[in-house]
Amino acid sequence: MITAGIDLGTQSVKAVILKDGSVVSHGQAFSGFDPAKAAEQAVGEALQKAKLSINNVDHVTATGSGMDMAPYSNSTISMMGADAKAGVYLFPKARTIIDVGAEEARAVKCDDKGIMVDFIVNERCAAGAGAFIEAMARALEVKLEDMGPLSLKAERASPINATCVIFGESDVVTLIHRQESKPEIARAVFDAMADRVSSMVHRLGIKPDVVLVGGVAKDVGFVASLKRKLGIDVLIPEHPEFAGALGAALIAVSRVKETQK
Amino acid sequence: MKSQNEEKKYMPEISQKEINELRNSVKATSQRVIAENIERMKKTATNRPEEMQYFDEIANFVKREKEIRAAKENGKKVIGYMCLFAPTELILAADAIPVRVNSGWYDTSKLGDRIVPVEVCPVVRSTIGAKMIGLSPYLELSDALISVLTCDGMTKLGEILSDYKPVWSMSLPRVKDSDQSLRFWSEEIKAVKGQIEALTGNKITRKKLKSAIELTQKATKAFRRLQEIRKGSPVIMGRDAMLVNQTYMWDDIERWTEKTEALCDELEKRARQKIWACPPDTPRVMVTGTPMIWPDNWKLPTLIEEATPQGVLIADELCSSERILYDPVGVDEWSMDDMLNAIGERYLMASTCPCFTSEDGNEDRINWLLNKVKEWKINGVIYYVVRGCMLYAMEYTRVKKVLDRINVPVYYLDTEYTREDVGQMKTRVEAFLEMLTARIDI
Repeated sequence: MITAGIDLGTQSVKAVILKDGSVVSHGQAFSGFDPAKAAEQAVGEALQKAKLSINNVDHVTATGSGMDMAPYSNSTISMMGADAKAGVYLFPKARTIIDVGAEEARAVKCDDKGIMVDFIVNERCAAGAGAFIEAMARALEVKLEDMGPLSLKAERASPINATCVIFGESDVVTLIHRQESKPEIARAVFDAMADRVSSMVHRLGIKPDVVLVGGVAKDVGFVASLKRKLGIDVLIPEHPEFAGALGAALIAVSRVKETQK
Repeated sequence: MKSQNEEKKYMPEISQKEINELRNSVKATSQRVIAENIERMKKTATNRPEEMQYFDEIANFVKREKEIRAAKENGKKVIGYMCLFAPTELILAADAIPVRVNSGWYDTSKLGDRIVPVEVCPVVRSTIGAKMIGLSPYLELSDALISVLTCDGMTKLGEILSDYKPVWSMSLPRVKDSDQSLRFWSEEIKAVKGQIEALTGNKITRKKLKSAIELTQKATKAFRRLQEIRKGSPVIMGRDAMLVNQTYMWDDIERWTEKTEALCDELEKRARQKIWACPPDTPRVMVTGTPMIWPDNWKLPTLIEEATPQGVLIADELCSSERILYDPVGVDEWSMDDMLNAIGERYLMASTCPCFTSEDGNEDRINWLLNKVKEWKINGVIYYVVRGCMLYAMEYTRVKKVLDRINVPVYYLDTEYTREDVGQMKTRVEAFLEMLTARIDI
């Protein structure tokens, strides 16, 4: 059985192909102005890697904020539902899954079968999400991918307020004027974000194991800050940005099985 | 009516031309929203009750505005109120018309921003904005307003509106379970009775008050009957029921009671014939939190009932819907004192508004929520809060704890008076319903 999951995120579209429930390939494209086209590209890339065509796919499940625009899709699943499914598939003991993407951070609690039992989403503001790091990297004139390694060099933490991207930026400017070093400011940015994410997760209640997914999970600076704030270990899969698409592809497997019954 | 030339405490001077332009454009949007909401409600409900037609008609403010205007020409007075603590029996007993004037218009909340910061509750900002451009027929037609000092927003709203109308403030004790609170509140009731009599020129006699109480008790009976029916499999969609509840706030009480009883007859018949408004296994949702007011602020109930997977709103714990009329005034002896005391007790003691606290916190609201979840067989609760609605936001943690204990999922949904966040809200509501569906399947 071949299934596909497509995650139409705010910044990029991710696709995962499964053969009999195991991952065979990934594909990714920037969402841009035409997310449906980006989704075709992402799926196309994944199919090509798997040496398959769309006709070989038994079921496609879409997720992500743009899921209603997904091409080829046979069904949809909420991003929280997809996170829960992928989290438990990747780490069977996972019960809390934190997903930090470009524009949104969320946390999901689930049972041992990967069925979500509770969830929480950050307030309508991107300060706890990837876009915050991007804005701050611009203010520091640092490449986005250098922010994390840079922050690890900080010797101390200087607090900033991450209630909003715009005010956060003015806080960073204050630190620049105080002539704080770049590593310390970078660390301040991640600490502020991790603060927001960890209070959100605390409101939901933490049940170990805790898994971190989403594009921001690849940022070593954020991961270090989040582990410090939560005070517990956080598991990160090999391809955290594909968790949503993987969850959707796994849901597609159960949907095929349901119809076969 | 206050003199137009008197200097205003809060309200800015706006040119008549700007007022007219704004009113015309917001009014046009409002009429479109009303029509669209009703269209969508018709589309969602399979077998929509025929008796809903009356409520659709009264939901469009035009008919009722005409009636009230005509009554005013014949010498009747209109008394508006913001919070549910206003003793409407006294208004009716003085042959005046009670109307609730809180605004549900999104567009006018932006106008309110000219006077108060955006952090202020949008229900308050929107009501201020509606007054600025004379949008709300009921607020415009009111000869005086009863402002009960409940939350901070409502407290200052009355003060701001006093730029235009006589406003009678009623001070509400925040701790209700004490003799001195009840005594204090009874004095407030007596004071407002005097004000109503002075404005209308009609003395509230024992006989008139008795018949006003009885009239309201009849309305409560119909109101409760509708909610009782909703304990079973869905014969009416939640939005339809919410509209019925809400039209009470401006409709003629006798006609409303009659029409609601007729609707209930139809619904009971359908229940016997097993004609459902949606599949009986649809997740049963309850909403609680900030009031949701017709016509604009209909987005959450709409999202719930139009979602994939679909949910059905079975009950709510909102002062804009099921809290309106649930509790009757209970009178033992029909003496004037007894009736006034009974009115005082009903408005103070029965309320589950989060403005109250006590040694046990707002225990009444918690118990009532738990009771509703159990009696109405609720699968999940959406806790709805608009930005700036401090009291509801602060009580969430406690509500979540008690619902967790009985294993009923609750989701905190925060929003604003805006149409732009519907996409984000949809994602959350659908994830929540997906979760409820998965639980039901297990």
